[in-house]
Amino acid sequence: MIQVVALAAIVGVLYVLWFNLINNLKRQGITTNFAFLDDPIGVNIAGSDISSGASIQRGLLNGIKNTFALVVFGLPILTVVGVLVGIARLSTNWLVAKAATLYVETLRNIPPLLVIFIAFYVLVLPLPPPNQAATPLGLFVISNLRISVPWFETVEQTSFTWFLVAAAVVAVAIMWWRSRLYDQTGQPHHRILWGAGAFVAIAGGAWLLLGRPVRISVPTVEGRVVTGGLGGLGSYFAMLIALSLYTASHVAEIVRGSIQAVPKGQTEAANALALSGFQRLRHVILPQAMRIAIPPIINQYLNYTKNTSLAIAIGYAEVTLIAFQAIGNGNPAPQLILLLMAAYLAFSLTISLILNLFNRRLRYVGR
Amino acid sequence: MTLDDTRPAELLGPAPEPPPEEDLSPSEWVRIRLFATWYDTLFTLLFGAGFVWAARALIRYLISADFTILRVNLALLMVGRFPRDQLWRPAVALILTGLLLGLLAGAAIGSARDRAAEAGEEFSWDGWLAVVRRFWPILAFIVLTLSFTQTVSPWLVAAATLAAGAFGHWMGRTIPAGVRRYSWLIAIALLVAAFLVLITGGVGWEDWGGLQLNIFLTVAGIALAFPLGLLLALGRRSSLPALQGASVTYIEFIRGVPLITLLLLGAYALGFMLPDSLQPSRTTRILIAIALFEAAYIAEVVRGGFNAVPPGQVEASQALGMPPWKTTRLIVLPQALRATIPAMVGQFISLYKDTTLVIVVALLDILAAAQASTSQPDFLAQGLHRVTLPFVGLAFWVGSYTMSREARRLEKRLGVGER
Amino acid sequence: MTNTSVFSDATRVKGEPIIYLEGVDKYFGSFQALKDINMRVGHQEVVVVIGPSGSGKSTLIRCINRLEKHDRGVIRVGGVEISDDIRNIQEIRRETGMVFQQFNLFPHLTVLDNVTLAPREVRHMPRGEAEALAMQMLERVRIPEQARKYPGQLSGGQQQRVAIARALAMQPQVMLFDEPTSALDPEMIKEVLDAMVELAKSGMTMIVVTHEMGFARAVADRVVFMSDGQIVEVGTPEHFFTNPQEDRTKLFLSQIL
Repeated sequence: MIQVVALAAIVGVLYVLWFNLINNLKRQGITTNFAFLDDPIGVNIAGSDISSGASIQRGLLNGIKNTFALVVFGLPILTVVGVLVGIARLSTNWLVAKAATLYVETLRNIPPLLVIFIAFYVLVLPLPPPNQAATPLGLFVISNLRISVPWFETVEQTSFTWFLVAAAVVAVAIMWWRSRLYDQTGQPHHRILWGAGAFVAIAGGAWLLLGRPVRISVPTVEGRVVTGGLGGLGSYFAMLIALSLYTASHVAEIVRGSIQAVPKGQTEAANALALSGFQRLRHVILPQAMRIAIPPIINQYLNYTKNTSLAIAIGYAEVTLIAFQAIGNGNPAPQLILLLMAAYLAFSLTISLILNLFNRRLRYVGR
Repeated sequence: MTLDDTRPAELLGPAPEPPPEEDLSPSEWVRIRLFATWYDTLFTLLFGAGFVWAARALIRYLISADFTILRVNLALLMVGRFPRDQLWRPAVALILTGLLLGLLAGAAIGSARDRAAEAGEEFSWDGWLAVVRRFWPILAFIVLTLSFTQTVSPWLVAAATLAAGAFGHWMGRTIPAGVRRYSWLIAIALLVAAFLVLITGGVGWEDWGGLQLNIFLTVAGIALAFPLGLLLALGRRSSLPALQGASVTYIEFIRGVPLITLLLLGAYALGFMLPDSLQPSRTTRILIAIALFEAAYIAEVVRGGFNAVPPGQVEASQALGMPPWKTTRLIVLPQALRATIPAMVGQFISLYKDTTLVIVVALLDILAAAQASTSQPDFLAQGLHRVTLPFVGLAFWVGSYTMSREARRLEKRLGVGER
Repeated sequence: MTNTSVFSDATRVKGEPIIYLEGVDKYFGSFQALKDINMRVGHQEVVVVIGPSGSGKSTLIRCINRLEKHDRGVIRVGGVEISDDIRNIQEIRRETGMVFQQFNLFPHLTVLDNVTLAPREVRHMPRGEAEALAMQMLERVRIPEQARKYPGQLSGGQQQRVAIARALAMQPQVMLFDEPTSALDPEMIKEVLDAMVELAKSGMTMIVVTHEMGFARAVADRVVFMSDGQIVEVGTPEHFFTNPQEDRTKLFLSQIL
C-alpha cells in the first residue's frame, strides 16, 4: 500500500516536471529533440581545431577528449603524490612528517576551485605573453597562453617499434628466469633491475643501430609560433596541477589511514620472524594496506574526474564548458545538460563497476 | 636443571634513579627525529631549505603586498551587494548567531556537569582559554578581517557578537535542567529570528552575496537536503523493491554527476520544469539544485549510520515485541543518527567548500566577489589575485580546519566505531 | 641449513643458559612494567611463566626478542646481547620463534605462504626446500591438509597451530609463547596444547606465558610466578603447586585452582 502511494507520488512529480518542460519549450519555440546537435557551435575553441562553423556534436566530443586529457595525466600524478605524501606523514623524520602534514592540512581545507584559481591567476597568467615567451634552460617554452615541454619525436617508426616490442618480450623472459632462479636457489632475484637493464640494453642498441629513429624534440619559439616539443594550454596545466595536487591531499589521508589500519600484531609477527623493515613493508604491511586503500582511492579518482568540470571557471574547453557555451549561444539547455550528465554518469558507473569487481577480488578469503 | 636465578636486588647495586623517561633529551631528539640515517640527513637538509625558502617568500609577500583592495572591498567580500544602508541586518543576525552558538555550547557543558554530579564525579569546565585554543583559527581570521575595516562599526559588531556568545554560554550553563532541555528549541527560534532579520525589509536573498551567501547556501542546503536524504536512506533500506529501486537510482545518479551540472540545471533548465505560477528566483533555484545534490550524499551518510547499528539491537527490540516502525523510530534511528554526526560534519565542510562553484551560475559568493574586485578599474591587471585569493582561502581554511578538528573530537567522545 | 645458527655449540649442552637476563627494568611512561628481572633458561628447558594479568609476563618475553625495548639491564640470547644495533636484534629474532595470543597470521597469504615467507626471505631458502620444510612443520602440528587454505578459513585452534608451524619453520633455538590459548574457544585449547607438549618433549627450549596449569604441571621444568613486574617465586611444578612459599603465590593459586 505504502509502496503504491509512494510510487504514485514519484511518478506524479516526474510527470508534472516532464509535462511542464515539454509545454514550456514548445511555447517558447525551443526544439524538444536533439537535432540541434548538427547546428554550428558558433564559437572558436582555443587549443583545438574546432571553429565556430563546427557542429555542436563535434564540439562536445572534442570537450570529452579534453576532459580525458585531464584525467589521463592527472590520475598518475595524484596517485604518486598522494602515496608519497601519505607515507611521508608517517615518517620518523620530524621535518618530513611536518611538511607532509602542512601539505595535507592546507590543501584539504580549501575549495578546489580556489586552488585552480590560484594556479591559473597567480601562477600561469603572470607568465610572459606569447610573443615574449620564456625559455628556461632552453628546454621549455613558457608563456601565459601555452606551455611546451621536450617530448619524443619519431623520425622513422615501424622497425624501431618492433625492436621495442622485442626488448619488452626479452625483459619479461629475463624477469621470469630470475624468478625461477630465486625459487630454486633462494638467492635475491633483483628481477626489476635485470628486466629494466635488458630492456634498456636492447632498446638502446637498436636505437643506435637504426640511426637514432626517435629523438627528443625541444620546443623552440619564433615570434608567437612554437614548434616542436609537446605543448598544452596554460589553463590546461593550471587545471592539471591544481586539481591533482588537491586530490592528492585526500589520497594521502587515505594512504596514511590504511597503513595505520593494518593491525599492530602484523608488524610484530613480521618482526618476530626477523623480516627486515623493507621485507615487512613489501610482504606484510603494503599488501594489506592496499586492500583497504584501493576502494577509497578509486572513489577519489571519480571525484577528480567530476571536478574536471570546474575548468569551466577558467575557460579550459572540456565538455562542461562546451555545453555551457552552446547553451549561451541559444541552444536548448535541458537537452544539453542531460547529455552532459549522461557523459559523466557513464564514466562514473564504469568506474563503480570496476570498483565492485576489485572489491570482490580483494576480499580476504574467509569462511 | 638450573633452579632459581632470581638474585636479590642488592647484589646488583642500588637501582639508578630516576627511572628513564619515554621522552627524549633535545640532543637525542635531534639525532633520532632528524639525522637518524644518511638519507634522513639528506631529507632534513632538503626540507629545511624548503621551509626557510617558504618562510622568506611569505615574509617578503606580507611586506610587499598592498592590501588596499581588501580594505576597499571588504563589504563586498562579506555580504556582496547587500544594500549598504541595511547593513545593520547582517550585524544583528551575526549577534543572534553568536548568542545561539554560545547557548548551545553552554547548555552542553551544563548537562555534562549535571551528569557528572549525578554519577558523583568531579566536573570542571576547561574555561575560556581552552575555547580560544580550540577556535583560534576562526578568531584569528576575525581579527584579520577587522584589521582591514575602515570604520569602527565592525569592531562594535564583533565585540557585541562575542559578548552575546559569552552571555549565551553563561545562560546555557546556569539555566535549570528543565529549561535546558528545550535549549535546542530556543536555538532554532534564534536561527529563524536571524533569518527573518536578514530577509525582511525588502532585502530578498537575491541580494545576498559574499561570505554570507556561502554560509547561507551551506546551512540552508544541508537543512533542506536532510529530510530528503533521510527519506532516501530509509527508502534504500526498504523491503519494497519499487521504493528501494527508486532511491538507489536517485542516489547513484546524483553521485555520478558533478555538482556543476546540477547548478546548470538549476540555473538554465529548472525554470522550464516548473509552472509559470511558480518561478523562483535564481538564488532559490540554485539552492534547490544544491539541496537535491546534497540529499544523495546525506542519504549515504545516514546509510553508514544505519550500518553502524548492530543487528542485535533490532533483534532485541523485536524480542520485546515492538512493531517494525517503532523499532526503526525508537531504536535504530536514534543510534544511527548519533553515529552519523562526524560524517555529517564532513558533508557540511564539503558543501561549504563546494558553494564556491556558484560563481559559474553568476551568483556573487565570496570567491566571485574577490574575482569581481580584481576587475574593478582601480585594481585591474595589477596581479592582485595574489592578495584576494589567499584571503578567500583563509576564510574557507579556518572554517574547514576547525570543523574537521571538532568532528574528530566528537568522534572520539561519541566512541563511534569502537563500540 | 642449521649451521646458519649464530649460537656456539657450547650453548647446546643442557643446562647452559641460552637466555640470560640480568637486572632488566622496563617502563611504559612512568609505569614500571618490569622490576629487576633476573632469569636464566638453559638449553632444552621449558619454563612456564604465570601470574595475574598486568604482572609483566608478556612484557618479559616480548623483551627477549625485542618487540619491547628494555630500559635497563642485560638480555643475552645465545650469547648475543640485545642492543640498539639492528643486526644483533635480527640475529636474535632469527633464533627465537614467537607465538602470539591473537595468532597474527598474515590474512592475505595462504597457510603455506605464511610458513614459507620467513625461511625464503630471511634464510634465502629455495622455494622447494622451504615448502618441504613447511609441510614437515605443518605435519608436526597435524594440519598438513590445510596448507592451501587462507587463515580466514581455519578455526582458531587451527590458526594457532599454523602460527606454531610458522615460527618453527625458521628452525629457532628458542620458542616464546605469549598466552597461546587465551583467545581460543575451550574445545580448541587441547589441540594447541597437544602440539606444544609434543614440541617440549622433542627437546625445544621454550618460555611459555599461560594460564594453563595442567600444561605447566605436565611439561614445565620450572615455573616462574610474576606479580607487579617482579619475579616472586621460582620452582619446580611439584614445589610450586604443592608447597608455594610466598603469600602472593598462594593467593594467586587459590584464585585460579
